[in-house]
Amino acid sequence: MNDKATASFVTAFETAGNALPGAGSWLARRRADAIKAFAQAGLPHRRLEDWKYTDLRQALDKAAFAPAPEHKGAVILPETRGAVAFAGIDAHKLVFVNGRFHEGLSDMARLPKGVELHRLADVLSEQWAKALIERRMDEARQAENIVELNTALMADGMALRIRKGVRLDKPLHLVFVAADAGASHTRNLVLLEEGTEASILESHLGGKAALADIVTDIELDADATLLHAKLQDETADSVHLSTLRATLAGKARLGSFTLTLGCGLSRAQNFIRFAGEGAHASVDGAYALRAKQHFDTFSVVDHAVPGCTSHTMFKGVLDGEAEGVFQGKVIVRPDAQKTDGRQMTQALLLSRDASMNAKPELEIYADDVQCAHGSTVGELSKDAIFYLRSRGIPDAEARRLLVLAFLDEAIELAPHEKVREIFRDLVSGWFGEAAS
Amino acid sequence: MLEIRNLHAKVDGKEILKGIDLDIRAGEVHAIMGPNGSGKSTLSYVLAGREGYEVTEGTIRFKGRDPMEMGVDERAAAGVFLAFQYPLEIPGVTTMTFLKTALNAQRKARGEEELDAVRFLKLVREKAKPLNVTDDMLKRALNVGYSGGEKKRAEVLQMSLLEPALCVLDETDSGLDIDALKTVAEGVNALRSPERAMIVITHYQRLLDYIVPDVVHVLSKGRIVKTGGKELALELEKSGYAAYGADAA
Repeated sequence: MNDKATASFVTAFETAGNALPGAGSWLARRRADAIKAFAQAGLPHRRLEDWKYTDLRQALDKAAFAPAPEHKGAVILPETRGAVAFAGIDAHKLVFVNGRFHEGLSDMARLPKGVELHRLADVLSEQWAKALIERRMDEARQAENIVELNTALMADGMALRIRKGVRLDKPLHLVFVAADAGASHTRNLVLLEEGTEASILESHLGGKAALADIVTDIELDADATLLHAKLQDETADSVHLSTLRATLAGKARLGSFTLTLGCGLSRAQNFIRFAGEGAHASVDGAYALRAKQHFDTFSVVDHAVPGCTSHTMFKGVLDGEAEGVFQGKVIVRPDAQKTDGRQMTQALLLSRDASMNAKPELEIYADDVQCAHGSTVGELSKDAIFYLRSRGIPDAEARRLLVLAFLDEAIELAPHEKVREIFRDLVSGWFGEAAS
Repeated sequence: MLEIRNLHAKVDGKEILKGIDLDIRAGEVHAIMGPNGSGKSTLSYVLAGREGYEVTEGTIRFKGRDPMEMGVDERAAAGVFLAFQYPLEIPGVTTMTFLKTALNAQRKARGEEELDAVRFLKLVREKAKPLNVTDDMLKRALNVGYSGGEKKRAEVLQMSLLEPALCVLDETDSGLDIDALKTVAEGVNALRSPERAMIVITHYQRLLDYIVPDVVHVLSKGRIVKTGGKELALELEKSGYAAYGADAA
C-alpha cells in the first residue's frame, strides 16, 4: 500500500466490517481476498499499460473521498438535464441514493411473472449470483484491478434475473443519485435466461462531489437480448468508474450505449466475452466534454468462439482542455472463425487545448475473419462552416449543427427511438451551454 | 444594387484581383467570363466573405451597405447568395433541416417571423417541385450521395427558397450534362425578376444559351478587360480568351 487513497479504502473496509452484505457467508472470504489484492497493487496509475492515459491514483489521492453517508431527510433529485432525461419513459424504477437503495423513490411493483428484481443483498445466498460474482475473480486482467475494490466494498446494487422465455414488459430504469459527497460502491447483477428480453436504462446524476464505483456483471443465455442505455451526468468534481462485464451465449444479443456528459474524471470499462456461436454485441457511446473533464473508455471484446459479430463505436466532442481516451481491443481466438469485429473511435476537437488519445487494437489468431478498426481525430471543417454561414446560418448555429451531425452517427446506435431523441436533445443542450 | 470600385484582393498573400470595377442594377443579369485563374471564383468568394480572401484596396457597396463590415451569415441575410461550383457534402444534416435552419435564421436576422414546420414544409415542396427535387432528396443528408445534377438543383432550390437580392452563380454549369443544365437554367430563369440581380460566372458560353445575360464581362488576370452585350459571349466562343492576354484555355 503506497498511497493515501488506497489506504483510505482499506480503512473503509475495516470500518464497515460486518455491516457489508454477505457477512458470514462465502462472500466474506472473497471480500477479504479482494481487499488484500487491491491493497497490494494499490490504485492504478499511468505506469500500467491498461491505465496509460488516466492516473486514477493521483486523482483519488487529491479528491480524498470518504465513504458516502446514508442520506438524511428527503431526497431532492437534482434539476439537471440528466434528471429529467428519461422521465418521460414509462419504466420500472430503482433509485439508489448515495449508493443505497431508496424504496420510497423506487417503483418495482407490478413486475411480470418470471422477472425477479432484488437488491444485491437479497440474492447473495443464491447460486446464480455467487457464480456471476465469482466467475472472473481468478482471471481478471490489469484493468479489472479496480473491480477488486468493488468486490471488497460493494454495499448495494440491483440484481435482475429473468426466467426462461419471459420478456420484461417495459424498461427497467436505474437511477443513481449522489445526494451527499463521498464514495459509493455498487454491484449490479443481470442474468437473462434463454430466450428472454429486457431493456435497462441507467442514469447517473450528480448533486455532490462523489465517487461512483459501479460494476455490472451480465450473463446472457442463448437467444437472450439485453438493450442498455446509460447516461452519465454527474458533477464536475465527481469521479465515475464503471465496469460492465458481459458473457454472451449462442445467439444472444447485447446492445449497450452510453452518453457521457458529466464528471471531472470518468472511466468506462467494457469487457465482452462470446461463449456461444452466432451472438452479437454492440457497445457504443458518445461523449461531449469541456473544461478539464477527462473521460477514458476501455474496451475488450473477446471472440472466443466462431461466428459472432461485435461493434464498438465511440464518438466524442472535446472543448476547453478536455481529454478523451479510447483504448479498445478486439481479440479473435484461434477457433473463432467467421468473426466480424468492428471498432471505431472518432473525436472532434473544438479547442486547441483539448486532446484525444486513441489506441484501438486487434489481436487476431484466426484466419477466416472480418475485422476492421479505425481512429480519427479532427476539427470542424472550415469549408462546411463557411457553406452553412453563406446561407445565413450564424456561426454558433453552424457549429452546433455540425457537432450534432458528428455525434448523431453514434447516437443512432442507441437502443429505442425515444432514447435517441433524448440523447440528441441533451447534446444539443450541452452545445447551448458552450455558446452562452 | 452592387457597385464595385477598384477592387484588389489577395489570397495566400498573392494578389488575384487587380482593380475590378463593376456596376450591377436590380433586374440585370451579368455574365463574367474568363479563363482559369483569371479571378472569377475569387470575386465570388470576396462577395460572400470567405475567410482568407483579403481585400487590400477599393470598395464594394451592396444595397448601399459595405459587405466588408458584415459577417458571412449577415451578408446572406442581407441578400447575397453564392451558388457554389462544388456544393459541400454535409453528412448528418438533412437537407430539410438545413433549409429550415437557413431560412429561419435569415428571417430572424431581418426581424421577420420564423416559419413553423407546417408552413415551411408547404413552401419547400412548392419550390422543390419544378426543380425535380424529391422528398427523398430532402430527407437525405445535404448533398451527400447527390449526383452532380442533384447538387446544382439543390443549390437552385436554396436560392429559390431564400429569395436573395443578388445571386452569384459560380460555374453552375460545371459537371452537368445538357438535360441537367436545362433544368438548372430553367430554375434560375424562373428567379429572374426586376428586384433581383444575378452574376453568372462561367468559363464556357454554353450556359449563356440558357441563361441569357444582359451584360457580358471578360475577366483576365484580375481585371475586367472587356464589357459588351450577350453577343460578346458568342464572339469569345469563336476566338477564345487568347485575344485578352490569357493563355489559350
